[in-house]
Amino acid sequence: MGATTDTSNETIDLTIKVWRQSGPDDRGEFRTYDLKGVSTHMSFLEMLDVLNEQLLAGDEEPVAFDHDCREGICGMCGMVINGQAHGPDRETTTCQLHMRRFNDGDTIVIEPWRATAFPVIRDLVVDRSAFDRIIEAGGFVSVNTGNPPDANAILVPKDDAEQSMNAAACIGCGACVAACKNASAMLFVGAKVSHLALLPQGKPERKQRANDMVAQMDKEQFGSCTNTYECEAACPAGISVENIARLNREYLRSLLPF
Amino acid sequence: MNRLLFALRSSIGRKLVMGVTGLLLCGFLVAHLAGNFLLYVGPDAYNEYADTLHKQKLLLAIAELGLLVLFLMHIYLAISTGKDNKTARSQTYDRKQTKIESNSQGIFKAWPENWMFVSGALVLGFIILHLIDFRMEFRPDITYEGKEPFEKAVMLLKNPITATVYFAGTLLLGVHLTHGVASAFQSLGTSNQWTQKCFKWFSIIFGVGISLGFASFPVWALFK
Ligand code: FES
Repeated sequence: MGATTDTSNETIDLTIKVWRQSGPDDRGEFRTYDLKGVSTHMSFLEMLDVLNEQLLAGDEEPVAFDHDCREGICGMCGMVINGQAHGPDRETTTCQLHMRRFNDGDTIVIEPWRATAFPVIRDLVVDRSAFDRIIEAGGFVSVNTGNPPDANAILVPKDDAEQSMNAAACIGCGACVAACKNASAMLFVGAKVSHLALLPQGKPERKQRANDMVAQMDKEQFGSCTNTYECEAACPAGISVENIARLNREYLRSLLPF
Repeated sequence: MNRLLFALRSSIGRKLVMGVTGLLLCGFLVAHLAGNFLLYVGPDAYNEYADTLHKQKLLLAIAELGLLVLFLMHIYLAISTGKDNKTARSQTYDRKQTKIESNSQGIFKAWPENWMFVSGALVLGFIILHLIDFRMEFRPDITYEGKEPFEKAVMLLKNPITATVYFAGTLLLGVHLTHGVASAFQSLGTSNQWTQKCFKWFSIIFGVGISLGFASFPVWALFK
């Protein structure tokens, strides 16, 4: 037999301090749980699954958290981990975060997104329908139904297409709002306005779109942008704050009479 | 017209006006600093400059009124957006940590953008003191009568407390500008990924330049 490999650090013991709130009207509080023998190969959500098994075994309500794809594409799994939206890794959603990023004996603080526009429904689950209402206000293009148009009938410059696609990478998770000290939704709205405004199909409605989406954003009580750029650093899709400048530009343009 | 007013009341509209008023005030700072540099040329140059300026009564009154309006708008918008920003997060985080790498170490934790309101408020306090000293000539411990502008300036700045306040005040102004200028350009929608970097650097250089320029006067006066 050869030398045995050291597997001692493949499991870690953790203290989990997590926000518990039974419903929208509950005041909520932090509760602390010990979690032993967490495999470092687990994802963060799997760790929460294990915690919930333990809670169920002890007759306690499991921690409610949002998740769907667990592949980093749906944007459901947002939570603030140790003060950072989606945890410590850049361009990574919570579901793609792995427990090997943590050390044995760590205390992990888990909180829901905190924003007036995102009220807590339960534990870590927040209501992000404010985003849906912003999209409903103008985040679309109106097209006539009928036969599909010929491919390449409308030419799009490569640069524009690329910038538009980069903006369209937004998964609407809300990390920008969560990370912003003003709970501003400018990165989200900037991305949603940009990806349409950059393409010929989106141009006819650009003024109305910028206007209506911003009006809705304000109505939902998101804060304003103080250009701190925490949003960009927290965004799992790597959306650039260039889109915020473009939103400002689009908004300014919407005020011009020509 | 109604639509315009509505838009200027929106979050983006207010930031836009805040940016424009801020940049116009920066223009004033440049002119002010340029005038002050005549202190270094000598008493005659400075006194002549001050006299010519004060002879333009009407123009001066209009300029002062304009500045006052700019200031009030800038301050009003800072308070009004600040209030909305507070409401936007009614419950704060137990723990909050930046994800911007350069901001997470050492002194950079206190990066100016997080202190815009505080630095702005302190600068306002400094400007009020400055106006009492130079504009209203209302300092009880100083005899203004019969003195030329150059003499007055040196006399005021020679006071160690005044010198310290002016030095600190102008440095704080610099801190405010290092974020403010770049931020204004972003609010005006003028930046893309490349120009954003340029604006950031311009903003830092501008802030440091203005700050050191003004801070040099109390130091100079000590040796007068
Ligand atoms: S669960 Fe879909 S992005 Fe994380």
